Amino acid sequence: MNKQIRRLAVALLACYSVLFVQLNVLAVGRQEELNADPRNNRQTERDFNRPRGAIVAADGTVLARSVPTPRGDEFRYQRQYPLGDLFGNVTGYYTFSYGSTQLEQTQNDVLMGDTDAQKLRALSGLFSGADNTGSVVLSMRPDVQQVAAEALGDRQGSVVVEDPHTGAIIAMVSNPRYNPADVAVHNSKLAEDALTFLNAVPGKPLLANAYQERYMPGSSFKVITTSIALENGVTNLERQFPATKEFIPPQTTDPIQNYGGTTCGGSMVEVFYRSCNIPFAQMALELGPEKMVDGTKKWGVGEKLPFDLPGPAASSFGEVSDFTDQLPLLAIGGFGQGSTTMVPLHMAMVASAIANGGVMMKPHVIDATLDHAGQTLSRTSPSVWKTPIQPGTADTLTTLMIGVVNQGTGRPMQLANGIQAAAKTGTAQLNTTGPERSNAWIIGFAPAEAPQYAISVVLKGGPNDEISAGTGGKLAGPIAKTVLDYLFAHPSGPGG
Amino acid sequence: MSTSPIAAARRRTELGLILMAATITAAAYTLASLGKNAVIPPILVPFLIVVLGLLVVAHLANRVWAKGADGTILPLAVLLHGVGYVIIARLSERSAGLQTTWTFVAVVAYVLTLAFVQRASDLARYKWSFLAIGAALLLIPLVPGVGSVKGGARIWVSLGPINFQPGEFAKIALALFFAGYLADHRELIATAGWRVGPFHLPELRHLLPIALAWGFAVVVMVAEQDLGSSLLFFTLFVVMMWVSTERASYLVIGLMLFSGAAYAAWRLVDHVQTRVSIWRNPWPQYEGKGYQIVQAMFAFANGGTGGTGLGLGSPNKIPVAKTDFIFAAIGEELGLLGTTAILIGFLLMIGGGLRIAVRADRPFEKLLATGLTTIVGIQAFIIIGGVTRVVPLTGIALPFVSYGGSSLLANYVLLALLVRVSDSTARRLGETPNELTTQERFEAYRQRRAAAKARA
Repeated sequence: MNKQIRRLAVALLACYSVLFVQLNVLAVGRQEELNADPRNNRQTERDFNRPRGAIVAADGTVLARSVPTPRGDEFRYQRQYPLGDLFGNVTGYYTFSYGSTQLEQTQNDVLMGDTDAQKLRALSGLFSGADNTGSVVLSMRPDVQQVAAEALGDRQGSVVVEDPHTGAIIAMVSNPRYNPADVAVHNSKLAEDALTFLNAVPGKPLLANAYQERYMPGSSFKVITTSIALENGVTNLERQFPATKEFIPPQTTDPIQNYGGTTCGGSMVEVFYRSCNIPFAQMALELGPEKMVDGTKKWGVGEKLPFDLPGPAASSFGEVSDFTDQLPLLAIGGFGQGSTTMVPLHMAMVASAIANGGVMMKPHVIDATLDHAGQTLSRTSPSVWKTPIQPGTADTLTTLMIGVVNQGTGRPMQLANGIQAAAKTGTAQLNTTGPERSNAWIIGFAPAEAPQYAISVVLKGGPNDEISAGTGGKLAGPIAKTVLDYLFAHPSGPGG
Repeated sequence: MSTSPIAAARRRTELGLILMAATITAAAYTLASLGKNAVIPPILVPFLIVVLGLLVVAHLANRVWAKGADGTILPLAVLLHGVGYVIIARLSERSAGLQTTWTFVAVVAYVLTLAFVQRASDLARYKWSFLAIGAALLLIPLVPGVGSVKGGARIWVSLGPINFQPGEFAKIALALFFAGYLADHRELIATAGWRVGPFHLPELRHLLPIALAWGFAVVVMVAEQDLGSSLLFFTLFVVMMWVSTERASYLVIGLMLFSGAAYAAWRLVDHVQTRVSIWRNPWPQYEGKGYQIVQAMFAFANGGTGGTGLGLGSPNKIPVAKTDFIFAAIGEELGLLGTTAILIGFLLMIGGGLRIAVRADRPFEKLLATGLTTIVGIQAFIIIGGVTRVVPLTGIALPFVSYGGSSLLANYVLLALLVRVSDSTARRLGETPNELTTQERFEAYRQRRAAAKARA
């Protein structure tokens, strides 16, 4: 019988080996797949019982943090957003049932202490049970954000302030805003109600329209058309344009008019600061579809913006084939009408590139990530995205944009203390009959001779809205002035 | 009372291993409490005293009544029991309180079994009684008013406040009967009376009682919808027939019978079809009957290699985690390392049990040790395999680990019988002095008194 008993032992060992293999399959082989299953919320539940690091502004102001909950709460930590809705579109939210967005999503591993580098550094503290969470430091300034938000008021639109030399975003307000704390509540019914409400209200508050939406740019796009014309020798500062009221492009009998149906013409500088439409339509036609489309692509139009927040939009002008049989579309595209749409952040990058001698930097909001001890995990180093124009072209454009502020449509953006700004306005005419008639734009930078800040402001036209009636200079200009004046008065924070 | 060096070494090893198992349990208990509530349990010291006290009592029982027994299987049971207790306490404090009571009862049953059964071979004489007891235990849940249904299976008996599963004890009674009957008749059964094709079959006369006992057990189990136990009895029967007759044809016949029975059950019983379809693919039934097994899979994945840490996972998401699915809870909080440790624990216990069987020199004791070890080994395989989707899930307790009084009590009695067989072998091999049993000593004392009286 002993032979059989030994065989029985071997058979049972074989059975248990099968169990061991299957355990490996479940716990290791299929681990990622099972953990990623949407029905499996164990990982989230665990995360909600672990500490999570903070997201802080450039001056150290806490934008998002986790605090221990009182006894009896479902989870051990509650996410808080001390500045309410001011940074909602940057930090995003962190919820149990509805996932997370923006930095809360993309920086999750750093905040939870789950990056490889953090795990390695935590090994020494393995048995001390020390908090291993990381933090994310932004380049953004809450005081500037606050000033921009107040200047926008409750109008729909956005303000983006960028350092033209590094691409660091200093302020970025997207109106309407929302408070992530409303969604981050642990009571899942309340969180669901808040999300349902935010999805239903007009203006899409959950969408950061400063970089996730695109709007027709109107005359602010003339900066790009002019740059392409300058680069291709189609125009220069000396070129004269005849004063005309109407211009009939090829392939149509429908004439192009200037804004408000005025007669407009003169030198390159004059037509730029007066923002005549016809000269830019003519330049676009002289360039032709290929050079025009090629020129916009050099500016990164058509590509997703290289941003460190998730889901950036791409600006759009069109392809060569869209225009060869549709030259009138190319003509009105030359002054930012028709099918042209631009992302507000992208327009700030356009202004930045002109301010930075023709070099366009990658925009970023994250300055650095730190581990639990405050040691740097990573630091964002400025990097070039595109070089759309020559330095000489940038200088010429600066001259033109100074004219806009001093003599033209951008006069509302004349800054305090004699600081010279350079700008271009835009009033995009959406349609002539509907309630939403126009978007008001201004893009620019200052000081013109040694730029420190670039800015783009857009106000989205709504029904029965002052924006629909006004122009970019009158409406967006004062906002840009308020923000830039504040920045020059307080170059390093609210105190100084 | 004298003690041989071999026996003394075995008991020292046993004490050392029990202390280690107790240390692991106490550490795990503290960690689970820290993980769950961030406090060191206030009842830690009384807990340690009670647990250590009980384990030392079991160890002392071995020192008194089973000096020569193998010194590893009791500590292994203690370790499995300890880990199970910690997980139960972590899942439900109320259950932990009840499980403490059951632990006390189980250890008392262990001691009483050792004290009462002092010669393993004595048990062989009562094989027909064990058959009757086994049959009665299996039938009780079917009696109206006494039996009750839980989780679809009619395997519970409710007497006032006490609920228990008589099936857990029936398996020991039947193992005792099989061992006793086969030890007497194995040669007759092994001798071919007639043949069908390639198979040599014994005379029906010799096969009948055991076939009846087995058939009875299986039919009752199917009537009670307890598939896990049916599978366990079936395997126990086939293994014991094979080992006792040394004829592989019983394995083949067993496999054929099993296939036939499984196919019939699958065709005829809805319950079985559901189990099989969930086993093959639980995902479409996530909202229904597949929920439990999918949650178990999530638990293993969430645990990964090292586990979430005791008290830091979400094992309460798995329905009935503390009984049938306790292995998944271990997988979540202790990870692959923890579950592998449990597997190794069972393998070592199987190895220890089968070594006792190999060393035993009497057919009855050999078969008894084989049968008892098979029960533990197969039962653990059926439920672990069910939880991990290696085999279709059939609800059955994980020996020593799962919550439940009947299971714990029965398994400690089973353990005591294994220890008893081991000790009896050691005595016959001369590893420890073959002292008189308490009964024999009492009898001798009575006869001396009678003789003295007669002289006077």
